[in-house]
Amino acid sequence: MVFLSIPADYIPIAIMFVVAIGFVVTTIFVTHLLGPKRKSEIKLDTFECGIESQSNARLPFSIKYFLIAILFVLFDVEVIFMYPWAVNFLKLGLTGFIEMLLFVSLLMVGFIYIIRKGALKWE
Amino acid sequence: MNTIVILSVTGIAAMMSDVFKLKKALFGLSLLGLLIALVFSVYDWGQYATYFNQMVLTDNYAVVFTTMLIGITFLWFLMSKDFFSSHSSASEHYALILFSLTGGVMMTNFSDLTILFLGLEILSIALYILAGSDKGNLFSNEASLKYFMIGSFATGFLLFGIALIYGATSSFNLQEISAYVQQHNGSLPMYFYAGILMILTGLTFKVSAVPFHFWAPDVYDGSPTLVTTYMLSVVKMAAFAALYRLFIYCFAPVYEFWIPVFAIMSAVTMLLGNITAVYQKSLKRMLAYSSIAHAGYMLMALASPGGTSRSALMFYLLAYAISTLGVFNVLYQVHKVTGREEIKSVKGLFRKNPFAAIMLTLCMLSMAGIPPVAGFFGKYYMFVSTLNGGLTWLVLIAVLSSLIGVYFYFKVIIAAFQEPELENTAYYRQPSDLTVLYICGILSLLLGILPQFVAGLL
Repeated sequence: MVFLSIPADYIPIAIMFVVAIGFVVTTIFVTHLLGPKRKSEIKLDTFECGIESQSNARLPFSIKYFLIAILFVLFDVEVIFMYPWAVNFLKLGLTGFIEMLLFVSLLMVGFIYIIRKGALKWE
Repeated sequence: MNTIVILSVTGIAAMMSDVFKLKKALFGLSLLGLLIALVFSVYDWGQYATYFNQMVLTDNYAVVFTTMLIGITFLWFLMSKDFFSSHSSASEHYALILFSLTGGVMMTNFSDLTILFLGLEILSIALYILAGSDKGNLFSNEASLKYFMIGSFATGFLLFGIALIYGATSSFNLQEISAYVQQHNGSLPMYFYAGILMILTGLTFKVSAVPFHFWAPDVYDGSPTLVTTYMLSVVKMAAFAALYRLFIYCFAPVYEFWIPVFAIMSAVTMLLGNITAVYQKSLKRMLAYSSIAHAGYMLMALASPGGTSRSALMFYLLAYAISTLGVFNVLYQVHKVTGREEIKSVKGLFRKNPFAAIMLTLCMLSMAGIPPVAGFFGKYYMFVSTLNGGLTWLVLIAVLSSLIGVYFYFKVIIAAFQEPELENTAYYRQPSDLTVLYICGILSLLLGILPQFVAGLL
């Protein structure tokens, strides 16, 4: 296989860039021009999902939150591997099934490790 | 492939041993796992087998380097028995070392750029944590963070390079890339060469070659001494095995392009490493700079590929790793007793333990490259191979910088034979604490007397 690319092939990418930058620039400037300017205390406040903001974002918090969050990400991402496997389940056959069992059992080992180490204890 | 499986299972077992209250069995278990892996690795000799859809290729080159990696790690385990057992998280540290060894083995067996990337990451991520395993020490924290930041940056380069190579050749497989490059040599796009340079950058970061060495002294100096030992011996060996394998198996058809890069890098690395090492007062930092210098000598194998460069690189790495283990065994014991790591803190070693001083001398001579020890033949093979490659100027620079090296290596030898500065210099608590030094000294001598047995393997 020989791939010959000419500069014209990159035109879609260039258009993509222009659209992306254009969108950002438009939304930033046009909203300033079009929107009415009513400055009140609530309007200028930090938006925090509708809940009243508490304080500065950089406040110390318990490391346990961080640990739980990291572990959540780990076991959440694991499920992503199952989607392509489930779609191709028939094609992959028994080998694929055994490989998935191996993968899940390794994750299980990790899970046992986490529990026995007390990473999920909340005191 | 068996080796990779056994090592990862041993790693997982080591990790779980704490959970199941089997901490006492941890050390024996790790050693047993390493021994089994070693046997399986040697058993693969003479075979040419691919696994996982041609992603892993076990040939003699891979077998030799895998065996060396596991053997050196075995010695490392012997000398660090008490280090991790004093920590509360000993089992994690053992597991991390075993995992990083698995990554190293993957880096020597790869036949696919994705496996190279995977192996490098498994090797590195474990080490980022290990570098900071002395949690109370600020320098250890600094080393860990620095290593992590710069290592990730280097990995980014490597990945971008792999992506560009894939873009140019539409394959990750070494054989396919090589065949494609052979076929289309001369009409390859510019970004293929950019990809080679980026991969080169990413991997030479890991072997701490100038100009990508700035992280190395601080990381090697700040990490716990035994982790530094592991980095200098096993990690350097794995990274060089991967670098050489990649460029010889894959990019050999365009060697005119990358040879000058390696030649210049090699010359600058050994000069800078050796000259900076002269000014160090701390033994650990001096050895860190000397490891940069040794990376320069090893790069000579890539500056003149083909011929005997393969066995020269192998022999050099082996000689270097063995002498590093020996010297660091002394450094670790000295540090444990006196809490100091300067060159002058080995003073009085001969008075306390003459045999240990002689063994240390052998290891230091091996690093300096003086007969009759292994390091001399490492340098000899390397210089001969480079001369055959036609790079006389590089050999001249190498000889010159070796002469500089002799100066600071002899500072340590002289210190070992001087009168002790402090009264209480018991260099070891038990006689077995310096076993690895004795093994390494004798191995250096044996390799120096009978080099052809090992050098003839590849």
